[in-house]
Amino acid sequence: MVSEEIWALIQIFLFPGFFFLFFLAFFTEWVDRKIVAKFQNRYGPLHVGPKGVLQPIADFIKLLSKEDITPRMADKVPFNLMPVLLLSLAITPLFCIPIVGSNALVSFEGDLIVIMFIMSLIAVLVFIGGWASTNRFSTIGSIRAGLQLFAYEIPMNLAMIGPAIAAGSLSISKIVDWQIHGFWNLFIQPVGFAVLTISLMAHLQRVPFDIPEAESEIVSGWIVEFSGKKLALIRLAKDFEFVLASALIVSLFLGGPYGPWYISPIIYLAKFFICVFILSNLRAAFARYRIDHLLAGAWKYLTPLALLQIFLIKVLGV
Amino acid sequence: MTFEIPFGPQHPALEEPINFMFEIEEERVVNVKPRLGYVHRGIEKIAENRNYQQLVYLSERICGICSFAHALCYSQVVEELLDLKIPERAKFIRTIVAEMERIQNHYLWLGLTAKEMGFETLFMYAWRDRETIIEMLDMISGKRVNYGMSTIGGVRRDIPEPMIKRMEESLNHLEARAEYYTKVCTKDPSILKRTVGIGILRPREARALCAVGPTARASGIPRDVRADEPYAAYGEIPFKVVTYRGCDVASRMYVRIDEIKESIKIIRYALKNMPEGPIRVKAPMRVPEGEAISRVEAPRGENLHFLKSNGTDKPERWKIRAPTLANLLSLCRMLMGVNLADIPVVIAGIDPCIACAERIALIDAKTKKLKVWEGKDLWRYANEWYRKRYGL
Amino acid sequence: MAMEDDMFRNLKEKPVTIQFPYEHVEPVEGVRAKVSWDIDKCIGCRLCVTICPGNAIQLVGRGRQAEIKYNVGRCILCGECVDVCPTKAIYATKEFEIVFNNRRGMITHFRRKKRKRTS
Repeated sequence: MVSEEIWALIQIFLFPGFFFLFFLAFFTEWVDRKIVAKFQNRYGPLHVGPKGVLQPIADFIKLLSKEDITPRMADKVPFNLMPVLLLSLAITPLFCIPIVGSNALVSFEGDLIVIMFIMSLIAVLVFIGGWASTNRFSTIGSIRAGLQLFAYEIPMNLAMIGPAIAAGSLSISKIVDWQIHGFWNLFIQPVGFAVLTISLMAHLQRVPFDIPEAESEIVSGWIVEFSGKKLALIRLAKDFEFVLASALIVSLFLGGPYGPWYISPIIYLAKFFICVFILSNLRAAFARYRIDHLLAGAWKYLTPLALLQIFLIKVLGV
Repeated sequence: MTFEIPFGPQHPALEEPINFMFEIEEERVVNVKPRLGYVHRGIEKIAENRNYQQLVYLSERICGICSFAHALCYSQVVEELLDLKIPERAKFIRTIVAEMERIQNHYLWLGLTAKEMGFETLFMYAWRDRETIIEMLDMISGKRVNYGMSTIGGVRRDIPEPMIKRMEESLNHLEARAEYYTKVCTKDPSILKRTVGIGILRPREARALCAVGPTARASGIPRDVRADEPYAAYGEIPFKVVTYRGCDVASRMYVRIDEIKESIKIIRYALKNMPEGPIRVKAPMRVPEGEAISRVEAPRGENLHFLKSNGTDKPERWKIRAPTLANLLSLCRMLMGVNLADIPVVIAGIDPCIACAERIALIDAKTKKLKVWEGKDLWRYANEWYRKRYGL
Repeated sequence: MAMEDDMFRNLKEKPVTIQFPYEHVEPVEGVRAKVSWDIDKCIGCRLCVTICPGNAIQLVGRGRQAEIKYNVGRCILCGECVDVCPTKAIYATKEFEIVFNNRRGMITHFRRKKRKRTS
């Protein structure tokens, strides 16, 4: 009885809970930076730790120690709350994703819907944060973030629903379970996989779609007024979002972890870093699109394709 | 609702301080007001206290990127005043270095524009390949920037035989890379989306607003000093003036990439047909009284130097017109109606070099009239200012 | 997407970046860098002082007793003085990493050795 409780505590705080997730987030950022640097014929982070692996942690600690400025004109309460909320919202869905075995820490019927909801909430929070800082650039950035939400949200959710329809369940753990006994969804729904990857790039605000924080156009968009601890939290939250995005692709389309408990995390991480590699490659291969390009593209191509995918699932019955 | 957005003087998309005040209506620019005056360096005034030999090096420092074009222009204007005939070999070496500088500037421009578009990878690659040409310039002149090659009466360093072999290899590499970038810039969908049809400058407007250099050539106007009024050895080298008719940022990009290829051909031809002989003639320190003008096609456009001498070893007046000053008006025309997201790309499109273009003008704040001050007035103003400041 | 081929090629190759403080590149033959004086050859003709664009060179004293005051902070490394020197007293070094902690360190004096008076 007691040992079960200790086991649960270890699961929540050590593995695969908070401790593991924090380090996974930092490590993923390092891998991403390193891969993009390699594509661009550079070194990337190099000096903190072996091959610079501790660089994201060093950046985080450095940012925590910096001066924290709240602009006088800013709307204080949302401005100060936004980074904390963003971080907590970015961590929460990760508990619904199975890492050891096909059962997640928190698993219930309909957790996929909760994840979709939280992902939309993150975009709304970004809009509020940018709006509350009342800077000209951050206002434009937050408007763009809101517009971007309209573009990518529907195709993303449709693409995420595809595996759920195929598996006949709205629980991620059950979708993973279904894939272990059948095929990976990647082979059944390749179009859905592509749509989800592209929409997640837009959700993560990474290079082809980093429109809300376009560095050369509107300085850093909605982030521009955040500094010190807030910026550190936002950056960490972005890392968690990146982890969440890769983890979602793995769970919904690549079959998640399988095998006994000591093998499944390794298999899971291997798939996870394949996803990170794909996302990093996409980041290096594009110039930034404009907001109207994204909106037109999402409504003209992504949404019909996602609908077509669902239609195919229904008709073919796979 | 119109929205005023300041762009600069400090902005990540600008390499140099210039301020644009944009009036934005639903992410579209409806009005733009440029403001210069943040990096005025007073080079023309410094020139009045230096002798002609020293000024070669000051002229190089007008612009860090097109330094040789300015030095060449200055050398030519002094040679014209001195009525100096420079050796043929010096002319060819000048042509070679000028074209090499054009190649390095165009690679730099390609990288910067890619960065404004958010295409980091292309930026890194373009600058990596630029290193090849910079190493070549380092080999010839001993410096990576501000080469110090041109001087009054010729050039300072020769290009010996073993260097030519190494240059051939680098040129082959650069040509292959230029071909590759042509492929990338014509195929990549995201680059095409960001450049085609952006920042339109119609040929009639380009002619009316006196656009120069690649900006004019991208609007279909074959305006090139190298062909119109050949200097150095350009008269003896066959080459093509690259023009495109797209009038947009994409055309400016293709003009520059094609110019890289054309420059490589010019360098090859010049290296093959370089005559033997001396590279420099001795120039006297004192320059006879007179006025002269010289034009040079810098990588960014047409450079114009005017020199007035008074018989001493120091010039009386030296007026420089850098290409950015000529292109600034057409830039404002291009920016009208542009999407907010495209502003950096359009500004980068003319390859601005603000510090080269900075001049001072005095405007009366009340009547908004331009005042012209002579040396005497400036002198009086300075004295009054100091008296007031230090209570003398 | 047009650059994928080049990107994957670079994945296998070593980065081109030179990690400067730890890695050095040999300066090329004839690099324009700091100059130095062979002061015993100097005849004090002041040609280098006149030609120096940055006024980096000063001549203290007169004629054969003169000493050179060379300010690297003002030097623009053009190498005109090397070309102009009639006795080749000035020569170019290959030292191009010119960093100082204080302004005083930038100034180098080239003094003549006190010659023993031969009777």
